[in-house]
Amino acid sequence: MKSLPRWSSLMLILRREVRDQIRDRRTLFMIFVLPILLYPLLMIGMLQVLSAMEQKPRVVVVVGAEHLPESPPLLDPSGTHFSPTLFGSASEASLMVVELQPESSFWSDPPAAEQAIRHGLASAVMIIPPDLPEQLKREAEISIPIRFNSVDEPSQITHFRLKEMLARWKQHIVAARLERDKKEQGYSEPIDVKALDVATADEKGGSVWARLFPFLLVIMSLTGAYYPAIDICAGEKERGTMETLLISPASRLEIVLGKYFTVMLVSIAMTILNLLSMGLTGVQMASQFQGFPGAVGRRASTVLAAPTLQSAFWMLVLLVPLSAFFSAVSLALAVLARSVKEGQYYLTPMYITCMPLVLLTLSPDIELNLFFSILPVTGVALLLRALIMGNYDTAARYFLPVLIPTLVYAAVALRWAADQFQREDVLFREAERFSLAAWLKHLIRDREPKPTGAQAILCFTIILSASWFLMLYLARSESITGLGSVAAGQLVILLPPLIMAVMLTKSPLQTLRIAWPQTRYLLLAVGLVVALNPIVSELRLLVEWLFPISQKLRETLASLTSEGPGLIGTLGVLALLPAVCEEFAFRGYILSGLEQKRRVRSAIFLSALMFGFLHVLLSLFQQLFNATLLGVVLGLLAMRSKSILPGILFHFLNNAWAVSLPRLARMKEFEPVFGRVFRSPAEGLYHESFLVVSVIASSALIYYLWQIRFENRIRSSEVGTPEPAA
Amino acid sequence: MIHVEHLSKRFLDYERGWKSAVDDVSFTCQPGEILGLLGPNGAGKTTTLRILSTVLRPTSGRAIVAGRDVALDPSGVRARIGFMSASTGIYDRMTAWELVEYFGRLYGMQPEPLRERMETIFEWLRMNDFRDVLGSKMSTGMKQKASIARTIIHDPPVLIFDEPTSGLDILVARTVLQKIGELRELGKTIIFSTHSMHEVEKLCTNVAIIYRGRLQAKGTPRSLLEEFDQPDLEELFFHLIDRADSDGGLAEAPTRPVSSTAGG
Repeated sequence: MKSLPRWSSLMLILRREVRDQIRDRRTLFMIFVLPILLYPLLMIGMLQVLSAMEQKPRVVVVVGAEHLPESPPLLDPSGTHFSPTLFGSASEASLMVVELQPESSFWSDPPAAEQAIRHGLASAVMIIPPDLPEQLKREAEISIPIRFNSVDEPSQITHFRLKEMLARWKQHIVAARLERDKKEQGYSEPIDVKALDVATADEKGGSVWARLFPFLLVIMSLTGAYYPAIDICAGEKERGTMETLLISPASRLEIVLGKYFTVMLVSIAMTILNLLSMGLTGVQMASQFQGFPGAVGRRASTVLAAPTLQSAFWMLVLLVPLSAFFSAVSLALAVLARSVKEGQYYLTPMYITCMPLVLLTLSPDIELNLFFSILPVTGVALLLRALIMGNYDTAARYFLPVLIPTLVYAAVALRWAADQFQREDVLFREAERFSLAAWLKHLIRDREPKPTGAQAILCFTIILSASWFLMLYLARSESITGLGSVAAGQLVILLPPLIMAVMLTKSPLQTLRIAWPQTRYLLLAVGLVVALNPIVSELRLLVEWLFPISQKLRETLASLTSEGPGLIGTLGVLALLPAVCEEFAFRGYILSGLEQKRRVRSAIFLSALMFGFLHVLLSLFQQLFNATLLGVVLGLLAMRSKSILPGILFHFLNNAWAVSLPRLARMKEFEPVFGRVFRSPAEGLYHESFLVVSVIASSALIYYLWQIRFENRIRSSEVGTPEPAA
Repeated sequence: MIHVEHLSKRFLDYERGWKSAVDDVSFTCQPGEILGLLGPNGAGKTTTLRILSTVLRPTSGRAIVAGRDVALDPSGVRARIGFMSASTGIYDRMTAWELVEYFGRLYGMQPEPLRERMETIFEWLRMNDFRDVLGSKMSTGMKQKASIARTIIHDPPVLIFDEPTSGLDILVARTVLQKIGELRELGKTIIFSTHSMHEVEKLCTNVAIIYRGRLQAKGTPRSLLEEFDQPDLEELFFHLIDRADSDGGLAEAPTRPVSSTAGG
């Protein structure tokens, strides 16, 4: 992939793949025909069900109707329905049928009545107490029991309707009394609350769509990307046309990009058509519901009202990065699969991973912030929600923070897919019998000097999950607290890389970079700590301003550094131990594994990001940014020096400074010096002049470190690259 | 021309560890020659040819195809070869004409010369009666012809055929062999793998017999029969395989990590 992809080849491949998809009857059906048929059919089906449900009147048994007063009337003169004056419309009144029963019947016996309701003989039973006329005359409080079954939905609805109706009846009674006593309406209702909703009908529609649309958009663009991806990668392998294409002059990158844009196009087309059909059906349904009586109909018609033109526009805009991301991930997985069948197996884990990410957007409590913005899928979904709901302020602020990470993830996934296309064992995979024993034997027997990238990632996931379980355990047991738990956590970080290095690599020393470095690297480590410190403090301030840490948490953290075994012990646990354990894990095993692909920058960045994520789990997500930044410097230091020691030194000094600064700041003898250096000694914030020097010095040192690769490259080419032994 | 020197390819196998599929193979093929790569299934023929077509990278050794090194300039090699095998399929949802046109365009041919070339090839292979038939509707013979057309559309100096007749009925196989023979007369460098002695006898100027990833013998069919004193190619083939099998145990011993010096 030395040369850039040629546009003409790429377009040629793209055009062919798209034509291939369009000629496939099943794809055509799924993309074009199904959405046009499916949603209207679903609507018709739903309307049928709803109308069947709505039209059936519910039976209400009224016991002791003879005790009811003449005025205001509860029943209509015929006694088969309630009085229409108690309902909004006559059609609403007709939804309940009254069945009068004498007091002597079984309906007045509670267990028997319950049984009858369960068997569906009535939806609810209303019992009129015999002393009702008397109580009314005395103006006492009267209770009218209604028996219903809350598990049975029609019975529940009937109960609500009865309550609403009785409330109206009560108003009628009160109104009669007010008239009799010549009192104003305000006598019985001193306050009349008027709720004035500022939301327009459009916005009401929007808020429901705002929850629903991001969810649908994610599901559809994922599905729309995945199936064509399987077809044009795993399917081509299966049909034998992949090899034909690979021996054509088109480069691997041109092939990957051609296929990638095909997948993206299909995904976008399918999503748009689905949403369009769904939207139109919704509009149609809303107009149907307007004919429906009561609150249910009104609500349904607002819910299903068409989303505004703006919402539709924003959906189109955000569909592109979302599709870009899903297409890249799908393509990488589809290349990995040997057959279409195997490809389909990978879809379920994809869905399961995406679900929690997108379900977050259904909860109204979750709002877009910087952390959510960098999560794949979630960021886009929340941004879309904000745009549809008209929160343009939030949307504008997070537009780039959402878009850039998503596109970066898409690029990384695409690069991964392109890498897969370079791998012989992926392109020419053949079915082989899998035996666990043989595979384990192979791991030990065929181990290489350094771990593979996959082993490095495995090591990281083991560290993450082990840390997670340890934290759960520590949270329950009260015996280990504070520094003890920190120490236990560090051991959990150290053990997996140590064990894996010894068991799975031929050269654990080289893997963990156990070697004495040149002195200049130790000096560089010290220099970098000093030079970076002002920047790191400012960054921490910035992050804490963006994401405030609660006061309670701050106190807990402060107690960690001030508690227990004096400065030396605290330094040991909070500075030395993490320096050793985390360096062996991240700059030792994990970085060694990641750099196997000879992509130095990606390896350093990825290991730094993993380092950052571990800190999110261990302490606060605010640490993500600082830890990642330091992880990059540490990775570079480890790679250039070929030793773990400069990193440990850097890490130790950095942590030691953070731990001891609050103590030093409290000491009287340092006050004059600190005053000159820091603008806020307790927080370690420097004066501006120091900041400028820091930026210049750090840049110079990092640049110096970066350019050392040329020296190293010459040296390593003398040694030659080791060959896997037979 | 094709020039192969000490070519080796090893794969990682979970059960057996690193395994040689091709081991120290060297041969040369000149323009106007057909080199027959003869060997049973699993001998390493396909691996060798896949290295020549640049889809696999050699573990060690060198291969120069049409003046380019397969490891250093794979795209240069791909532009100058035509490769066809039993596993290079054709697209189901493309017609013969579209398929050949697509590959011609991928080779960077301009529309007008491409059209002319296609008309010639379609005429030569008698493909005109099914030029608008979709791949999924073609018979095996049609597919094979479409594959050949695809292979030679850019008029490459080097042609590589990996068992092009496997699974074909004799009529189709005969046509394929005929066409390969005609290509040789056009001065192409052709390498051709098969497990059929009959095809080698009929078509090849040179033969290389490969077994267990190693080259067992190479030369013109006549010189090989004389060298090993065998009556025909079939006997020669079995003779070489027997020899390799009896040497097999000895030949593998030094590749084991345990050094043979200890045993003396």
